[in-house]
Parts: sequence; structure tokens; C-alpha cells
Amino acid sequence: MKPQEPIPHNYSMAKLNLIFAVSALGLLFVTGGIVLYDYVRGWKWFQWEFIRIQQERLQQDLRAAQQGENRTRMAQLDKQIKQQELTIAAHRQQYVLAQRDLDQWEGQHYAADEDYRFAKANLDAKRYELEMAVLQKRRDRAQTRKEYIDLSNHVDDLQLRLQAVTRDRDAVQARVNAWLKKIKDAEDTRKQLTASIDLVKKQLAAVSTNGQFFILNAPMLDFISPTFKIDQVVLPDLFVNVNYMEVPRVDRCQTCHRAIDQPGFESKKEAARLSAELQQKLDTYQIPQNKRAATEQRIAQLKRIQDAPQEILNPWRTHPKLDLFVGSASAHPLLEYGCTSCHHGMDRATEFGRAGHVPPNAKMERRWSGFWNVAKRQWGYEENPFDETPMYPRQYYEAGCVKCHANQVQIKGGAQITRAEATVELIGCYACHKIANWRFTGLRKPGPDLTGIAEKTTPEWAIRWISEPHDFRSTTRMPSFFYQRNMVGPAVPAAERAQNIKYQDAEIRAIVEYLFSKSKHRVWPAPGPGDAARGKQLVNTIGCLGCHVDTETVKGATTGEMRLARRTDFPLERNYGFNLTGVGTKTNAAWIYNWVRNPKAYYPEAPMPSLRLSDQEAADVTAYLVTLQKPQFMQKPIRPVDPEAVRELAKGYLVNTRTDRDAEAKLKTMPMHEQLVYLGQRSIEKYGCYSCHNIDGFEGLKPIGTDLTIEGSKALHLFDFGFVHDYKAEDGVHEHVLHTVPSWIYNKLRSPRIYDDLRTKAYNDKLKMPNFHLTPEEARLVTTVVLGLTKDQIGADKIAATDPQTRAAQEGLKLVSQHNCRACHIVDGYGRAIASLISDTNFLPPDLTPEGARAQSPFLFNFLKDPTVMKIRPWVSVRMPTFQFTDAEANTLVGMFAAEGKAHEFDNAVYSMPPASNVAVGREVFNMLRCAQCHATTPVNPEAPPVPKTASTQSLAPNLTLARVRLRHDWIPDWIRRPNEMIPGTRMPANFPRDPATGGFISPLANAIDSPQFAKSKAALMPYFKSEADLKRTMADPVALTEYLRDYIWSIGITQIRAAAPNQAPAVIAPPSMPKQLPAMKTGRAEQGGGVTAGR
Amino acid sequence: MTLKKFVTLMFAAALVMFVFACGKGHEAASKEDEGEDDEAPQAASAPATTSGAPAAAAAAVPVVADAATITGVVKLVGNAPKMPTIQMNADPYCSSQHPNGQNAQDEEVVVDAAGDLANVLVYIKNPPPGNYPMPSTPATLDQKGCRYYPHVQAVRVDQPLEIRNDDQTLHNVHAMPVVNSQFNEGQPIQGMVATKKFDKVEMTPFKVKCDVHGWMKSYMAVMPHPFYAVSQMNGTFTIPNLPPGTYTLVSWQEKYGPQEQQITVGPKETKQVSITYKAS
Repeated sequence: MKPQEPIPHNYSMAKLNLIFAVSALGLLFVTGGIVLYDYVRGWKWFQWEFIRIQQERLQQDLRAAQQGENRTRMAQLDKQIKQQELTIAAHRQQYVLAQRDLDQWEGQHYAADEDYRFAKANLDAKRYELEMAVLQKRRDRAQTRKEYIDLSNHVDDLQLRLQAVTRDRDAVQARVNAWLKKIKDAEDTRKQLTASIDLVKKQLAAVSTNGQFFILNAPMLDFISPTFKIDQVVLPDLFVNVNYMEVPRVDRCQTCHRAIDQPGFESKKEAARLSAELQQKLDTYQIPQNKRAATEQRIAQLKRIQDAPQEILNPWRTHPKLDLFVGSASAHPLLEYGCTSCHHGMDRATEFGRAGHVPPNAKMERRWSGFWNVAKRQWGYEENPFDETPMYPRQYYEAGCVKCHANQVQIKGGAQITRAEATVELIGCYACHKIANWRFTGLRKPGPDLTGIAEKTTPEWAIRWISEPHDFRSTTRMPSFFYQRNMVGPAVPAAERAQNIKYQDAEIRAIVEYLFSKSKHRVWPAPGPGDAARGKQLVNTIGCLGCHVDTETVKGATTGEMRLARRTDFPLERNYGFNLTGVGTKTNAAWIYNWVRNPKAYYPEAPMPSLRLSDQEAADVTAYLVTLQKPQFMQKPIRPVDPEAVRELAKGYLVNTRTDRDAEAKLKTMPMHEQLVYLGQRSIEKYGCYSCHNIDGFEGLKPIGTDLTIEGSKALHLFDFGFVHDYKAEDGVHEHVLHTVPSWIYNKLRSPRIYDDLRTKAYNDKLKMPNFHLTPEEARLVTTVVLGLTKDQIGADKIAATDPQTRAAQEGLKLVSQHNCRACHIVDGYGRAIASLISDTNFLPPDLTPEGARAQSPFLFNFLKDPTVMKIRPWVSVRMPTFQFTDAEANTLVGMFAAEGKAHEFDNAVYSMPPASNVAVGREVFNMLRCAQCHATTPVNPEAPPVPKTASTQSLAPNLTLARVRLRHDWIPDWIRRPNEMIPGTRMPANFPRDPATGGFISPLANAIDSPQFAKSKAALMPYFKSEADLKRTMADPVALTEYLRDYIWSIGITQIRAAAPNQAPAVIAPPSMPKQLPAMKTGRAEQGGGVTAGR
Repeated sequence: MTLKKFVTLMFAAALVMFVFACGKGHEAASKEDEGEDDEAPQAASAPATTSGAPAAAAAAVPVVADAATITGVVKLVGNAPKMPTIQMNADPYCSSQHPNGQNAQDEEVVVDAAGDLANVLVYIKNPPPGNYPMPSTPATLDQKGCRYYPHVQAVRVDQPLEIRNDDQTLHNVHAMPVVNSQFNEGQPIQGMVATKKFDKVEMTPFKVKCDVHGWMKSYMAVMPHPFYAVSQMNGTFTIPNLPPGTYTLVSWQEKYGPQEQQITVGPKETKQVSITYKAS
């Protein structure tokens, strides 16, 4: 055959083969690459790492279970297990024998049964035969009958035999069952002995990375049932805005944060904190008996974490507050709230950079950014200028509370946000910046009234004060508007700086001119002669220092040297009133005298309450306060005002509405004073002074600042960072400006004009926000609040504190905050700033935590309206002020206490009179427990009980005759049983101590009643009991005893006190002159009737 | 065939990558974490107390044979303050126990004519870890004649403390520790005994007071070891059975506060220590 002619073509086959081969290979690799690219995801690494951590922890647990103290236990266990196994083996032998026996008996039983059945069948056949034989009258019928009877007897025999066999078989069966049970019991015991270890082993097997694991997660096979997978939770009533549409959140955070809901992966520090907390709860019987064992196990687990060789790093940690968040039994379970509802962030993202992580500080930013490198823990952070919900950095976590808890003053478990909101309220951010939520609306103007400034101080002082308030008082809340960084700072060119100073001088002067020209000039009566020493004594003892600080220097924490104080050196509550230093320089004796007597006469909305000072006391206090001088402040030079600067500034405003020529002409008609007043008015408008102060001519104007209601939802690109990256703050702290929203806000607060650095701006266009000299801590707190003010949509049932009772409590707590009750009292668990000044807790104002459960509401209402109706603790020198609450306010407070104290139920026993026998028993118990050693039981005038000498033993406890009108009927016995648990540190001793084993109360009289010292009492008590056993049973019963005590106390109580005077304000001093400008004298509502209104 | 090979290949590649990434990541992460700044800024470092206890239990050091003894006298130099006689008139029972103010001197500074200072708690601040035997008897705090006996003492952690009222009047025992939990119990009945324990170390003495009788106070410290003593009326104290070593010896006096000194004791040595307080 002729070889086939090669077909001629224009290409080389060999070359083509090569090209195909290469491109096929190329395609193969590309395909492989695509698969790999799709396969290798960041979150998988986190899941892999978590498996490794789990293995490590479990192995550690296993070792812990087998080692150390447990080793001897384990050895014992092993012995027991061996024992059990031997037992099982022995039992098994017995069982086998028994079973063999049983088998035999079963055979016999079967045979017997069969014989019987067959015989019975034969008998039936025979019976038929017999019947037929009888019927047919056969001959052999006699024979048949005989056969039948024989057979019948045989059947009976067989039946008996069957029964016997069955009985025997059942007996053997029971024996077999008994052995079986013994074996099972032994095996159960063994299982129990190894249960904890078996559990760990089982868990270990569940996270083992065996062949099956690799196959399930292999590329291209992992669609079947992979263990690496994205975890997500859908939150139907928490929304996220995606392109103008609110869609439910889908949180995928758990994909990487695997351990977030699994206890056992806490950081060492958290473990230490949690175990200490739990131990404390165990020790104080706060954990129910049935949960104590579980709690002890949890503490052991936490201890193991603390002893573990390696720390667990952040992405794999357990949520540190599982009792509050994430945990299924917590208030915010994961399945309902997810993560981003609190933390913010992109809910659906599974990559670090996209998820909206925000670095808390420069160091973390440096670490996070940079190309993905797990080794260096560079997660690939990227800033997203358009993300409206970036995550809150860790120092602002509690910002996330605000969106649902905006209806609350106090957020349980949110100490930082509660404090932050109180700080915002104290500093008064809400005055210039509208914050349209319940918490920050309806609050008073934070600054004092300026409509009577001329009565209070001089223009010279006011100029110096406005120039730099902090020079006068380092802790003042009045911010510095002038001579700030963007006006006179180092970055401002020298020529511009000189001009700015001239302008600022003119503005300050103009503002003062305006204020004084508009001021009222009432003449206040001068005080009589006062004793400054006694005045100082009064200021120190009657409670002034709860709200006012009287010092401006504190000891530095590190150097120990004296330095200027800042607000944060004192409790928040003590910054409520102004710092008393220099008050004598600022104002005059007449003003002080009238102010301390009745602040509301000067300014009806004054926050200061009346301490009911007598004329002499007021004169003494005045004499003391005028000695608080700061002469050096008044020596600060005041630069003369440049008329040209005034003219230029005034013209700047005039040309807004006029032509240049008209403005010039208008100016020519205005003398200097008029120009100043005009410029002053415009400057007050410019700087927004009226937002905080009551100023004549600015009533009803809108506040000046940016609306902050949804500030926390503003995306990064809307913030002007200027050119600043880092700077040295005025307190010497080096601050970084990160390109994040929280950092912008924080630095804005720390140094409000910082973003003007290196900018070129006209004088009036420069940033105007004044400098509050916030400490880093304050700035952090305020930033937390601002970040929390978002436009996030929330389902109605997720909004907290909407039920009427919580509303009542929160309304009351808002009043508590507004009136600074926590300066002297502990309310709802915290407060009492004044405690830092009074070392002996016996002389502190009372802890009001249990007030709702303690006091009867009508009494409380009356007392709040008019504290003079009863003096409960005459030895306490701090005075409860008269706040001149309206009925509505007093009712709100009473409602708050009732809701907090869970005492909203009507206490109808209050009006009952206990039976005489109860009173008699109670009196005897009262004597036996020697209650009268501290408590007086003689009736006194409730308005002026005798002030005890402190040396007297019958001194520092309330007079019990006042209990009946004041205390709740059900509260007294409860209090007697556990005073220290209700008010830690109280002087009232626990007379019924807790039994450490059971947590129950023990009665000291249980045995003592038989002792000779109580023989008389016993004899006196006997008539009231059926038998001695009955008496002893009662004496051993703390509940019964405390109720008898209560009944006795009830029987000696007075039943009536004076109702609150309708106008409790002290008489207002009517100034003799300037009647036209008298303020409307609000002296409280004129109530009719004067009776007690039920405060519910 | 090809598919199988491909899958195997990819699987192997992924595996290699994973193992590599994890190994590296883990190693580096643990190394870097010493200076970890992952926590909230206000948080302080973790308490270090927890690790000590198990270690101590494991390596129980018995009281050594060549134990040393510290002994000494506490002196007060300068003019001893005159202690006032407590006025107990407020409770007739109390004043009846001290006719003519007898034995009713304030015990803030108890010093004899020679300047020997009593009621000074002396203890070792940093003893070697060990499983020291617990005293067989409970500590006691007696209330007798409206005074506390002893005025200053130390107890061991978890050592039972029996508080007894020998008076025919109401006392309340209000212990005000800082580290341990406070308690305040009334003892209205003569002969009543309450048993308490402190479960945490608290070496700086805290006050135990009676709110009924303002003058009654006692001071108490809770020690993790037996190396403490309270100076007697003649100012002497003895701390026996101390393993040789260098220690910080702390003395604490109610009015004058704590003083520290370094001491070194050799085997079987009886070290004489003098502690001096200056009357201010």
C-alpha cells in the first residue's frame, strides 16, 4: 500500500501541538488559580485558627482533668472503675450461668406448653368422639367415656406441670434480670466516673482535623457539607440603610468571631474579672441554690483560662459580657440582636476591611493597615469615606446603647454611656446643639441668667472673664471663645494675629457693653454683720460642698505637687454648682446674701435650691464667701479697644443688609457706645451666648450649633479634617487625628479650632466653637454620646423603656440628674459625691437605693415638697434643701422611687393596727434584742427632734415613733432581717445573720430564750403561745420575730405629721427700687387645701 | 482520572497554604502579643495574685529544720501622748464595768514608762511560698466591759474567728475590711458567739468597730502565713520558725502607721530587731 501522502497545510503540526499543549496547561493553571482564589478566603483562616485554639484548650482541659490535684482523684477513680469492671465481669458470669439456666427452663417450658396444648387438642377430639358415641348410642361409649376422663386427667396434670414450669422459669428470668440490672448499674457508675473526661474527649473529637474534615473542606467538594462556612443571623426588626432603603440586618460577624457566644475563650484579664465577680455573687447569696454548682464549675473554667500558657487573641475571644449581650439568656441574645445593632459596622461583610472595623488609636491603625498579612496581624484595614455605619472603636463601644436606650437616663450595665450622658448634660452641649431625643430635651439653659448682671458684678470683671474664664476658675464650664488657636495660635501669621486680637478685644468689649446696658438694676438689701468663721463652718457642714467645689488646686497623682484642678478631679456632681473660689472678687455681699437666702428670687429658673438659711446664717455665709478673693485676676490688664476695629466689625454686619454707603452713613450717626451695643448684639448672635444664658433681647432664638440628632450617622466624607494630623493639646497631651469619624469628633472636642490650622479664612468665617478645656476622659465621654446619635431604624419592640412604669422611673431619674440629687444621695446604686468630704458614714445623707421600698409614697411626696415636715436624722448636719418642686415634679420623683423600689403596689396594711398580743410579743423581743440601745422610742416633735450628743449610745438611729408615718409596713421586717444587704455599710447591725451553709437566717433567740437571763421574758411571753414548743418555734423563726418587732414599732408610732406648706419658699425680699424690671416672682405653685396628695 | 488528579492537586495546594499560613500566623501573633494593646485603655493589668496559690500548694515548703527566729522590742521615743480616759457614761452598763475610769484608757498608743510600745503588729511582707499549717485554735475577739480584746491582732486566711460578747449590753461587730467583705452583726445577748472567716489576704489592718459604743475599736489583719506577731505590754515580739532568707519586716501601729525594714536571717539564727517609732 502506498503510504498516504501528507496533506499539505500552512502550519506545522508539531508547533500547533506545542501551542495547544501550552495553552491547555495555561488554561488548567488559570482554572486552578480561579478555583484557588475563590477558595482561599480570609474568614476561613480565622475558622481554622479557632479550631486549633479549641483543640489546644480542650487538650489543656483534659490535662487539667487528669493532673495535679485531680491525679489522686483520678487514681481513685481508676481503682473504682477497675472495681466496677471486675464487678461487671463477676456479674456477667453469674448472668451467663443464669441465662443458661433460663435457656433450659425455657426449653422445658416450651415442651410442657406444647404437651399441654396437644393434650388439650386431643381432649377436644375425644370429647367430640364421646358426644357422637353417646348420640349414636354406640357400643364402645363406656370405653370412650373412660378414655375421655383419663385424657381429661392427663390434661389437668399437664396444666399443673406447665404452671410449675412457668413459675420456675419466671424465677430464673427474674434472676437473670437482676444480674442484668447489676451490670447496667455498674456500667453507669463507671460512665459517671469518667463523664467529665469523656465529655472533653467527645468535644475534642468534634473539632478534630481528620481526613473527613479535609475532604469536606476540599476545594470544589466544599459545596456539599463543609465545616468552613459563613455563619449569619438575620435580624428582621433592626435595619440598615442600603441605598436609601431600610433592609433587615444580616450579621455575619460570627463567621470570624467564632467564640463570641461560647464561654471559655475569655482573655485572662476578663477571666480574672468574671471569676472575681461570680465569686462575690456566690459569697453574698445572690445566686440561687440550684445554680451554685454550675457557677462553681464556671469559676473553675475561668481559673483554668487564667492559668493557661497562652492568651487568646481578640478575634477568637468570648464576648466579655455574656450575661448582658450575645448569651441566649441575656437581655440581648445573639439571634435577636446580632452584633452590628450595637457595634455598628457592615453587617454582611466577611472581610476585615469591608466590615467597617475602625482603629481606636494610631498604633492600631498602623498595625491593621498594610497589605493582608496575618503574621503581622495586618488585617487589611481600609477607610471607607461613604460608610454611614462604621464600627465603634473600643473606647466608644457604649455609643451603641443610645439608639434603643435614648429614653433612659440610666442604662443598666452601661456605666460609661450613663456617665457620658450626664457629662453632656453637665457641660451643656444640648444648649447650642439641638439633640432631639428625650434625654436632652426639656433641660434648662446651662449658664446663669445675665439679665441682672449689673447687680452681680462689674464690667471690668466681665471683660476679663469672657477673655479667658479659665484664668479665673480652672474648673468652670464656661468655655473660652476668644484668643483661641485659630486667632492667635502659632500657625496664624503675625500681622493677621495682631488684627485678630484687635477684633477680639472689640467683640468682648461690645458684648459686655450690651449686657450691662440691658441689665436690670435692682437694689438688694445688704446683709447684717456676719461671722466669716461661722459661715465657713456652715458651708462645710450643711451640704454646700456637695454641688460646689471650694478649691482650685489638687495634688497631682504622679508628682504629688499641687496643680490647677480640672473638672475631672472632682466627682461629676460636685461640678454642678460653680467653683466657690474667687466668688468674692466676682460679686458683692448684697448679691451673695440674697442669692443664698433664696436663689429663685434672683432667677426663677436657678438650679440652686434653698437651704433655708436664717438671716443670720445667710449673713455668716456671705461674710465667709466674700473673703474668697482672687485679687490677681483683677490686675490682669485690659487692652483699650481700637475704635477702628469696632467700626470695621460693625460695618461688616451692617453691609449684610445695606449698601456700603448706607452702612458708612449709618455708622456716622452712631456714637461709640451705640456702635458697641450694636456690635455686642451681633457678637452675642455670632457666638451664640444666648444659647446657654438668658439674655434680654434674644428670647426664643434657635440654638447656634449644628444639630447633633443624627450626627453619628454622618459619613466620613462629610467631615472637614483640614490639614492636621497630630498636634499638642493645651494640656500637653500629644493627640493624633486619625481619618475616622470618632477621632474627628474627639479632637474637635479636645481642641475645637484645630481644623482651622493652616487654613486661610476670613475673620468671621473661622471656626467659632468655644474651647471647653475638656480632659481626654471628658472628650471621650462626649464623643461616645455623639457617635450614638444615629438615624438607625429600629423595630418598635426593640426600643427600651417604653412601659409606663419604666417611663415613670426614667422621668424621675432625669429630675434626679437635673437637680443633682446624687451630690448627697445614692440613688439607684450610685452617687453621694459628698461622701469624699465626710469621713464618718454615719453623718452622710441617706442612701436612697431602697427608698421606694422603704418610704410610704404620701410621706415621700410631702417630704420632697417640704423637707421640714420631719427631721429623720437630726444628727446629720447636711440639710435636705427645699427644691420648691411642683406637685407634678414631686409626683414624678415619688413614682420613680416606687418603680425602682418595686413598691408600686398599694400597701393597705399601712393603716391597720396590729393586735395587742402581737404588740406585747414584739415589745418583749424588742427588749431582748436591746433595740432601744440605739433607737429612741419616746415621742418627739417630728419637725424638731432633739439633736443627740454623739457620745450617747441612744443617738445615731432614727426615732422609732416616726416610723409609722414614714416607712412601709412590709419593709420594716425585711430591713431588720437584712440591713447590710439593702444598704452596704449601714450602722444597723444584722441581728439575724445568714447561715453560711444554706443562706437562710438564724435567730439568736432560738437557744437563748432558754438561758437564765431571759427567764423573765420567757415567762412574760408564755401567755401568748399555746405551748412552750410553740414559743420556741416562734423564737427560732426570724420572719415571725421581725414581724412582731414591726407590730410593736407600729404601735408606738405617731400617725400624723404636718402637710407640706403650699409655699415653702422663704419669704422673698422685694427690692425697694426698679419695680418695673422685677422678675416674675415664682414662689412655687399656690396649692389649695394643703392636704397630702397621694404621690402615686 | 484527570479530575481526580486535579482535585488531589488543588487539595494539596490548599493544604500547604493553610498549614503555612496558620503556623506562621500563630507563631508571630503569640510573639507580638506581649505588648498587645488590644484592650480598652482604662483597663489595668491583670491581677497577678491568682498564679501564686496553686504553685504554693504544689510546692509545699515544710517548716524547715534550720529555722530562724526574729525577736525584738518596739520602742517609742519622745513624749508619749497622754491617752484620755474613755467616757462610758452613755451606756450605764459600760461605765459600771470601769469604776473610776479604771482600765478605760484609750488604747491608741499603749506605752509603758520605759517607752515599750505595745499593740504593734509586726509581720513579714514577703515570706517564701509554703503550705503553712493553720493554727489549731480559732482566733478570738472578746467584747468585755465595752472594750475589745485583743485590741490589735492578725488572723490567718480562712482561720475561724470567734467573736464573743461577754457584756450584758448590745454590741454590734462592724468589721470594715477593704479587700474582704464587710460584715455588721448585732450581739444583743450575753455569751453570744459569732464565727467568721476572712477569705482574702489583707495585710494592712482594718478597723472593727461597735456602732453602739463609739469608742470601741479593734484592728485586724488577715495573713497568708504564720510569720506575724503583736508586741506585748513590754514591747517584745517573737516570730519563730522562719526559713533563712532576706525579708521585708513591716510593723504597723494604730497612730503612727506602717514602717518597713529589710532583714536577713541565717540558719538557726535568732535575730534581734529593734523597731522605733517617734512620737510626733
